[in-house]
Amino acid sequence: MLFLLGPCVLYLLTFSIYPLIYSLRLSFTDLDAAGGGGDWVGLRNYANLLVDPQFWNATRNSAIMVLASVTIQIVAGVGLALFFNLHLTGSWIVRGILMLPMLMTPIVVGLMWRALLNPDWGLVDWAIESVGLNPPDWLGSVWMAMLTLVLVDCWQWTPFVLLIVFARLQALPQDIFEAARVDGAGPFVIFRRITLPMLMPAILFAGLFRAVDAFRSFDLVFGLSYGGPARGTTTLAFFAFQHGFQFQNYGYAAAISYAMLIILIVGTAAILRYLRVQPVDRS
Amino acid sequence: MKKLGSDNQPRAGANRRDMLRLMGGAGLAGTLVGRPGFLLAQEGFDWRQFAGTKISMLMVGGEGDDRAFADLLAEFTEQTGIELEITAPALGPLIETTLQNLQAEQSGYDVISFLGFLTTQQVGAGFYDRLNDYIENPAITPIEWDYQDFLQPALRNVGIFNLETGERGVGDDVYAIPGTHSGSVIYFYRKDLFEAAGLEPARTWDEFHAAAVALNSDEVAGASFIGANDFSLALVDWYTRFITIGGQLMTGSPQNKDFMPHVDSPEAVRALQMMIDLLPYAPENVTRYGFAENVDGFSTGKIAQMIFWSTIAGPIFNPENSMVAELTGTGPVPADEGQVARAIQGGWGISIPKNSDPAKKDAAWLTLVWFTSKRVNNYLVEAYQIDANRTSSFTDPALVAKFPYLTDALAAASTAQTLETASIPETFQLNDVMNVEFNSALLGIQDAPTACAKVQEQWLAMLRSAGHLA
Repeated sequence: MLFLLGPCVLYLLTFSIYPLIYSLRLSFTDLDAAGGGGDWVGLRNYANLLVDPQFWNATRNSAIMVLASVTIQIVAGVGLALFFNLHLTGSWIVRGILMLPMLMTPIVVGLMWRALLNPDWGLVDWAIESVGLNPPDWLGSVWMAMLTLVLVDCWQWTPFVLLIVFARLQALPQDIFEAARVDGAGPFVIFRRITLPMLMPAILFAGLFRAVDAFRSFDLVFGLSYGGPARGTTTLAFFAFQHGFQFQNYGYAAAISYAMLIILIVGTAAILRYLRVQPVDRS
Repeated sequence: MKKLGSDNQPRAGANRRDMLRLMGGAGLAGTLVGRPGFLLAQEGFDWRQFAGTKISMLMVGGEGDDRAFADLLAEFTEQTGIELEITAPALGPLIETTLQNLQAEQSGYDVISFLGFLTTQQVGAGFYDRLNDYIENPAITPIEWDYQDFLQPALRNVGIFNLETGERGVGDDVYAIPGTHSGSVIYFYRKDLFEAAGLEPARTWDEFHAAAVALNSDEVAGASFIGANDFSLALVDWYTRFITIGGQLMTGSPQNKDFMPHVDSPEAVRALQMMIDLLPYAPENVTRYGFAENVDGFSTGKIAQMIFWSTIAGPIFNPENSMVAELTGTGPVPADEGQVARAIQGGWGISIPKNSDPAKKDAAWLTLVWFTSKRVNNYLVEAYQIDANRTSSFTDPALVAKFPYLTDALAAASTAQTLETASIPETFQLNDVMNVEFNSALLGIQDAPTACAKVQEQWLAMLRSAGHLA
């Protein structure tokens, strides 16, 4: 058994455990590019984080990103799943096309949309202007840039929610729905009292998965808005990147990363605890 | 043996024509050895003395130099017998890889090119060899290499460093050679539009603004600048205006712990306000304009004038890609009366890590010599219009005839000013703060005095935290 598990354990130790421990230690030092060795400073990096307005700005942006994009993705993903569950002619083709964004690398998605939304020669603005409308300044104002970031994230990852929920829909036992229809339940009642509760585990799984992913999102921000304008789309992941790779403040960047980990652990634990205490609707 | 010495500082009111005349004389010798295909050779110099050695070079990718070096690799190997492997990542990974190697027990690279803004961080930390002995050794440095031909401001920016006092550009110790490219900022303008309007190219910032107002139309913006939250917003457009209206960014020194910023000075506020005042005459989305947007805008005839890195002259003067190749003029950046027209010193340095394989250092030096030679510098200009590091490349008659902007680029490179905050490791962080606040001002979120005050406040905190200010 040990022989079979050995390579796996070795891999985990080398590429997961060791980096985690190393970066944790790093977060307690003042290592930067010019400093060389990095002296132990205890919790100073974490204390500085708590009073750093840019950290709270990035935290707020990450929260907005997670709440807005996950909400839209869940609503749109469930809606699309229900639509495709009607099995209309040719829907499988459309479903396949809708999956394509999910297959693209996020950095490519960011760069592609940055080009599409270019105010001078982007296709999107050209299309809007050709019908006589004025296109918004997609990445030019703080709030609009965040909205654009959320919408692009939704464009890419709503298919993921669709996939999960649609798969769950196919596995639902049909006799319950037949019985409900025989009892005279209308489509809305069936959806609210039967379909939605039975889909809830899949929805929550997809939502949790997307929330963690959206919270960690870096490459989309890097490609689309580079954290701007005026740090309006600087998320925690981008903030950590700036300190680690642009300013070479390795200790501080490690502290930011661990702050993210703590937020993720607390948030995920809270959500899972909420899921456990919610009674199952057996009506 | 040649002795090395420091150069003079540019003086206010220097006559550009006199300066160019002097440099032309120095460049004349460069003509003989700078022609493409002419191999550097002097009688008795053994280019193949390190044949069979394998050398690794680390340099930046994506700025054109890597393509030029790749073009010349076969020629280099044929002449020297040295097997050279070039690694050229983008800037971020380059910095990361460089620091890892410089701090390792032995560097995996024998020759490393570093960004000029990181000179204090890397050269100042003692990571590179002192090169004086190499330069003065005729056995491994051919006479034609001509150390004095390098742009002196570029040398002071990346190569000359006093490790004892921590001062850049002071003393005679050389730790790096300018390379892969240098450069500064020049003024680009549409000759046809100015002539049609009866205007002369702007020499002062008031003239620049007046021209922007006069030339602005639905088809062509009167002026443009880097308005996005971009690395060059503060360093090119704001800093150029700031120093040419009499601004002084820092006083004191990090060594004395009195390194005081003056980002909220009247000149600082005025420099930012000048950019804000240009907004009605700039492209509609100028607050999102970075490097590429401005180059594209100017090349497609949508911008009447702007100041920019001289390296963009390549695409702008290329008739295959530019609609205004024949219509563009260049000149020195505007400046207030009595001020020297000058901009920021850009560019890179190249050197030998102190912790590289000792057995290969001489071969590494020969490699560095070859790739910083006049022949290679001329190739950089001719093939890719990359700013060279040598005076002779800017004054080569054949190159100047082909690229008239070289004269202005040389003048700019010769008077360029090293960014004061480049003397501390927090350069990028300070720059980021400035870009964010200035971009916010351009977006109308705050006014110029508020933006400058915020930068000043954040800079003070960062400088105190880093120990550069008591």
